[in-house]
Amino acid sequence: MSAAALTLRFFQRELRNRFSGSFSGGLWALFQPLIQLAVYAFVFVHVFKTRIPGADAPGYVPFLVTALWPWTAFSEAIVRSATSIQDNAALIGKVALPREILVVASVASSFAVHLTGFIAILIVLILAGKSIVVAGLVPAILLYIPLFALTLGLALLLSAVQVFVRDLVQALGQLMTLLMFAGPIFYDRTQFPENLRGWFDLNPFTFYAESFRALLLHYGTFDWTRFALALAIALIALLIGHRVFRRLDSHFEDFL
Amino acid sequence: MNAPLVEARGLSKAYPKVHRNSDRLRALGRLLFRAGTGDRVSVLHDINLDVARGESLGLIGENGAGKSTLLKLITGVLTPSSGSVRVNGTIGALLELGAGFHPEYSGRDNIVMAAALYGLQGSELRELLPEIVAFADIGDYIDEPVKHYSSGMVVRLGFAVIASLKPDLLVTDEVLAVGDESFQKKCVRWIEDYLGGGGTLILVSHSMYHIQKLCRHACWLRGGRIEQYGDVFDTTQAYLAYHERKSVAVPDRAEIARAGHEFSVLGVELNGVDAEHPLPLEFGQTLRIGMRVRSREGRSPCLAVGIVRADGTPVYGVGSDMDGFTPQRVGTNEYHGAIEFTNLTLLPGSYAIRVHPLDPEGVRLFDTVERAIIVRGASREFGLVRLAHRWIGDARSEIDDA
Repeated sequence: MSAAALTLRFFQRELRNRFSGSFSGGLWALFQPLIQLAVYAFVFVHVFKTRIPGADAPGYVPFLVTALWPWTAFSEAIVRSATSIQDNAALIGKVALPREILVVASVASSFAVHLTGFIAILIVLILAGKSIVVAGLVPAILLYIPLFALTLGLALLLSAVQVFVRDLVQALGQLMTLLMFAGPIFYDRTQFPENLRGWFDLNPFTFYAESFRALLLHYGTFDWTRFALALAIALIALLIGHRVFRRLDSHFEDFL
Repeated sequence: MNAPLVEARGLSKAYPKVHRNSDRLRALGRLLFRAGTGDRVSVLHDINLDVARGESLGLIGENGAGKSTLLKLITGVLTPSSGSVRVNGTIGALLELGAGFHPEYSGRDNIVMAAALYGLQGSELRELLPEIVAFADIGDYIDEPVKHYSSGMVVRLGFAVIASLKPDLLVTDEVLAVGDESFQKKCVRWIEDYLGGGGTLILVSHSMYHIQKLCRHACWLRGGRIEQYGDVFDTTQAYLAYHERKSVAVPDRAEIARAGHEFSVLGVELNGVDAEHPLPLEFGQTLRIGMRVRSREGRSPCLAVGIVRADGTPVYGVGSDMDGFTPQRVGTNEYHGAIEFTNLTLLPGSYAIRVHPLDPEGVRLFDTVERAIIVRGASREFGLVRLAHRWIGDARSEIDDA
């Protein structure tokens, strides 16, 4: 069997694993983001009365959604897949298989769930009459491709290192929260003190957050130079992640 | 096709020592920057092994001898520290329990996954699925999560998957021991058919019965090295003898205060050989035990001879007084006697011959000298000796009679 077919099997298994035991099954994947959306709308708009400054600024809910959902896919994929090798120790000890498959399946399942949720929410927002740029939907979905490459590269690296250093995943949870607030997700770059704004560019997710907003809300502009740079970073991450994984791969069994 | 199915050359495996957490970090650094190997525990050293197509090889050895590690290296689950192993065909492996089943999924789901891992999908799988389910024969449990299975059921499921795949090489690690009697029989029958059809088997088991039944050759691993390799009966007998010797404390000759005793054994010859090492015999050969005994007072001793299995189980014992035999005087204080067991019917295995002098009345026992013998041969009979027997009412002779 080809590696692709095997990856698909593990991917399906990951998805079923998430929803097995819940009554609604796959429907939960759609309900959960909608409930989350309702909570954010209530808390930020009605309680905190959060607004994005600027005359033609979008409402806060579309502003948040367009960056938060891709972020959730990214951060959840990283944290979950970091343990994907460790969690499958029993399998790795019994069956010879290309282990990258396990990481790919894990990252892909996070992306599948949250991309579905993202699309569902965008549709709901469009129906609710919010100012989503419908023409931006397809480019936005395509933007998930370099994001996936970046995530997979990091996931390969982290899942391999996790086998050796077990506290990595705890630190990772903290780090992702830090990274979330150190990026333009809950606020815009312009709301930050001017001397600190430049630091945002060190966060690999900044480009994606701002680009999703540019494509879907026409808030800011989509910068092709930064896109090329992000693409290069994603490919380098993938390359390094894969090389490290390969080098450590044959020693997993000794440390699992 | 002439190349062996499995070729292991100088195969070694060492595990890194990771006592403390900092060891793991250091190991990671070493691996990433390819700097040295660090502290390691060696599990297998320099194994050279060829397994030809159609071969059936039993791997035996104590716990920790490296059997499972060798299997894992052959199946590619582990990477050798040095040396290489090549398998020129498909492998079906049942390593310990479970074959990588996921506890949360049903048996059926796990079959699909396991089959996928062995390269089976779509229509092939749909055809085989009923066959696998039937072979496993665990009833409605097939749709229950594997975590609710007994260990026997897990093995049934694992074996059923492997059986349906008919791999070139079947590797199983002590799985037959878990199934119940009827499933064991089913597996043994299946393996025999599989071997009959040209399949190749590597079996790890602590059951010499299974090894002897299913394997032509055996490989005895001891401390990560091949101690003995060859015919299954020779190897398993040597292995069992090793265990029997281990479980019996060696009688201490020094504790017998020779000088003070009235009678002591000067020498024992087995078939004319007076040596400490075990005497090899063929099944049905004649065994002649010659004994020289010193008598302090110059009185004629009784001689007693016992045969025990290497673990101490008595097989047979007899005294010269019982048979009315008197040893010959060969010196002032020395007596000689010999006993012959013609056509020895001890079953293949390892035994000890014990020789004791007794006082002339045959009451007090004075000394013990033990010599080992190994009876060689291929036999699947049980017990210690072959009792004279014949079968009555054979179907063919009945026809002849009629």
